[in-house]
Amino acid sequence: MIRRLVLDVLKPHKPNVVELSEALSHLQGVEGVNIIINEIDQQVENAKVIVAGVSISFEDVKKKLEELGATVHSIDEVAAGKRIVEEVMTPQDSSARM
Amino acid sequence: MKFLDQIKSYIKISGVAPISRRYFVMNAFDGATTVLGLVVGAYVVGISSELWVTWSGFGATLAMGLSGFTGSYMAEEAEGAKKLNSLEKSMLTGLKDSVVGKASRFASLWAAIIGGGAPALTGGVCLIPFFLSTKGLFSISLAVQISVALALSIMFLLGAILGRISNRNMLFHGAKMLLVGLILTVVFLALKLT
Repeated sequence: MIRRLVLDVLKPHKPNVVELSEALSHLQGVEGVNIIINEIDQQVENAKVIVAGVSISFEDVKKKLEELGATVHSIDEVAAGKRIVEEVMTPQDSSARM
Repeated sequence: MKFLDQIKSYIKISGVAPISRRYFVMNAFDGATTVLGLVVGAYVVGISSELWVTWSGFGATLAMGLSGFTGSYMAEEAEGAKKLNSLEKSMLTGLKDSVVGKASRFASLWAAIIGGGAPALTGGVCLIPFFLSTKGLFSISLAVQISVALALSIMFLLGAILGRISNRNMLFHGAKMLLVGLILTVVFLALKLT
């Protein structure tokens, strides 16, 4: 039972992020979508796609993205289960940054 | 409704709207000019049968429609394939089955329909008086006058459309297009006088 998906996506300029987010928001089990453009190239753009819901089907999201001409480069975060577990900082993380 | 939304979406994604607008104006102008030339030319030689103008005009209109359709389709299909290939290289994946590929294929067909339909439509409209003349509704000379008036009106309208698209004076651009038709008509009439 996936509740949140964070994907690194490469997409053409058209369809734009508005159309992409609308299309994803209509998928079953999806309650909200957020798309942030990270980088714009001459023909393509790199986007961070965040999908939240109660029971998200990764396959449906991937299929819809591919239908719209986009490709999933990587799955950057997944939250599944009865509740969303947020990332926690550990002492190792802070020492690694020093 | 869903079908219309899909068409709108394909037009938006492919960016075919400005191209099809150009095809429409160019080919519609061709259609009106060709039939105007045919009608004025027939008048100069002194036509005795409206059937001659109707059928030769119909033949020319059909040929222009077919030529516009195939020419626009082939040109747009090649351009679309080039654009899609370039995008596929950037995306490092095939896009033929995606909405981008479908929009590209639709764009070729859309441009062809506009490119072929526009001259057939304007040419056909200019021939209506001759068609009605074959049914005995008009005399040949009245059919010539109405047909010339229709062709010149279409030219003016096309110029006005261009003026509207470019946010400039519609009347001035309409008059510019009309001038071309008037030059053609005057040249033929001068030939008749000589």
